[in-house]
Amino acid sequence: MAILNLKNREIECKIVYYGPGRSGKTTNLEHIFKAFQKHVKGEMVSIDTEGDRTLFFDFLPFGVGKIKGCDVRVQLYTVPGQVQYSSTRKLVLKGVDGLVFVADSLEVRRKKNMISLKDLQQNLKDYGTNIFEVPLVLQFNKRDLAEQGIPLMSTEDMERDLNRQLKAPIFSASAVSGDGVGQTLTECLKLTLQSLQRQFNWAE
Amino acid sequence: MDTESLIKSLLKEAELYQSQGLLDDAKQKYDNAAALIEKNPELENRQDLLDTVSEKIGALGSDIDKVEKASKSPELSAKVQDLIKNLFAFSDEKDKDETELEGAIALAKFGQFDAALAEFNELIKRDSLRVVAAKNILRCHIANASLDDAVAQYGQWLSSDIVFSSQQLESIRIFLQGILDRKRIDKRLPSVVSSTHFEAVVTPSHVEEEISEDEEFLDITLIGIRPKAGRLIELDVNFQRGNTISVLIPGRDKDSINRVEVGLKLDDVECSSAFAVFMASGTVIEKTRIDTGAKRGDYRVEIKIESA
Ligand SMILES: Nc1nc2c(ncn2[C@@H]2O[C@H](COP(=O)(O)OP(=O)(O)O)[C@@H](O)[C@H]2O)c(=O)[nH]1
Ligand SMILES: [Mg+2]
Repeated sequence: MAILNLKNREIECKIVYYGPGRSGKTTNLEHIFKAFQKHVKGEMVSIDTEGDRTLFFDFLPFGVGKIKGCDVRVQLYTVPGQVQYSSTRKLVLKGVDGLVFVADSLEVRRKKNMISLKDLQQNLKDYGTNIFEVPLVLQFNKRDLAEQGIPLMSTEDMERDLNRQLKAPIFSASAVSGDGVGQTLTECLKLTLQSLQRQFNWAE
Repeated sequence: MDTESLIKSLLKEAELYQSQGLLDDAKQKYDNAAALIEKNPELENRQDLLDTVSEKIGALGSDIDKVEKASKSPELSAKVQDLIKNLFAFSDEKDKDETELEGAIALAKFGQFDAALAEFNELIKRDSLRVVAAKNILRCHIANASLDDAVAQYGQWLSSDIVFSSQQLESIRIFLQGILDRKRIDKRLPSVVSSTHFEAVVTPSHVEEEISEDEEFLDITLIGIRPKAGRLIELDVNFQRGNTISVLIPGRDKDSINRVEVGLKLDDVECSSAFAVFMASGTVIEKTRIDTGAKRGDYRVEIKIESA
């Protein structure tokens, strides 16, 4: 549900970080907030609860700058991952223009990744959106934990679980250190703006 | 791996999961470690180890409890409430009514009932939003705590004949009566309309199957449709799969059955969910006569809701 104002050459779009609970969605946004201060257009709002769990969403207004003469602004959101927050998660997804799916590389979280991706597909479908058509980037997060000898899935195994059909671009990341966070966002922005170009031809 | 290293690595994993808030996974690993220690009486410091691990398991248990008991809809600051109102109103900015209605509904969906009520109580002053705002006010009362408040509110509207037309009041009464009936609360709301034939046709059929207490998790519980611009038909939602809902039309309601056909587009579907009443459009995708069981003779109609 991007808002395009072609007369003023303005675009505002919405990117949502989706994924199972504790996969690192909020940490992605926190890194963006710290590392790209120049682009941050306001406060980061986190609505969380006991044990820092995201309750409703995180929100960060972000400015990309001028692209083809258009001022591009992005609203970045995360959803609450826990299963019991399904109705608010769906509400946050409404009107999404681009998605980052943050998968947890921990072996113990394998099923949770798959359930969450399925949940994303269903929620998009309820809004009339096909997951194969929406701009979507996968992030395999917490890669740093391999060094500590914690059992992680190989990226090949994760691809097989999550990306066999989707064929989305993949980024390995470590959101705590910021590795891969910028690349993930950049790719998602690129896909989102291309998709908006196909829909609205704004870059004319 | 020898047993000792195995236990060590289980504990290490458990600690990491705990630090990441993956409490169930952490507990699982501690449980595994404890079982392994139990099974190996030859381990050095076995009792100490066991004590430490069970202490950790106990602490984790209470953390898990705390998370579970944390409020699912705490009162947010006015600033955040404003943000919610602005971020989750999607209508064209030119449609001020619709935008403000959506903002208020978003507040209710995020559990900010007092703030939502304040908004709806403003919106109810507008002609075009009166009924939908009123129904949302009742929904807020119900979701917030009390059916009594909802009933009292309706009573108050009844006696203040300033704002509502009798037709509007009747629509609100039917809406609230439907909720009371579904909750099996034996209470008849007074009506402003004297003729009873109106009620006989429009009141939702009594649902025999159990409606779960967790009504909040059902997305849409009741719809109101006006096929072919005729009178409003209110129908209980039997079940919902994604954005497809299934309703029953009693066999005796010939008029409604005739007006609902497969392929029919419905422009103003009034959808009531646990938190909110909203308008959507829909398409009738199936209509079948039930031939067996208690509902024999009734029609099952499936409607795909498009812009919910
Ligand atoms: N080691 C490591 N920990 C991470 C990484 N990303 C997130 N975490 C941790 O995982 C936990 C959950 O992260 P959070 O961003 O709140 O997850 P969310 O539920 O998806 O928003 C926190 O303790 C983070 O510090 C990562 O890349 N590496
Ligand atoms: Mg979070």
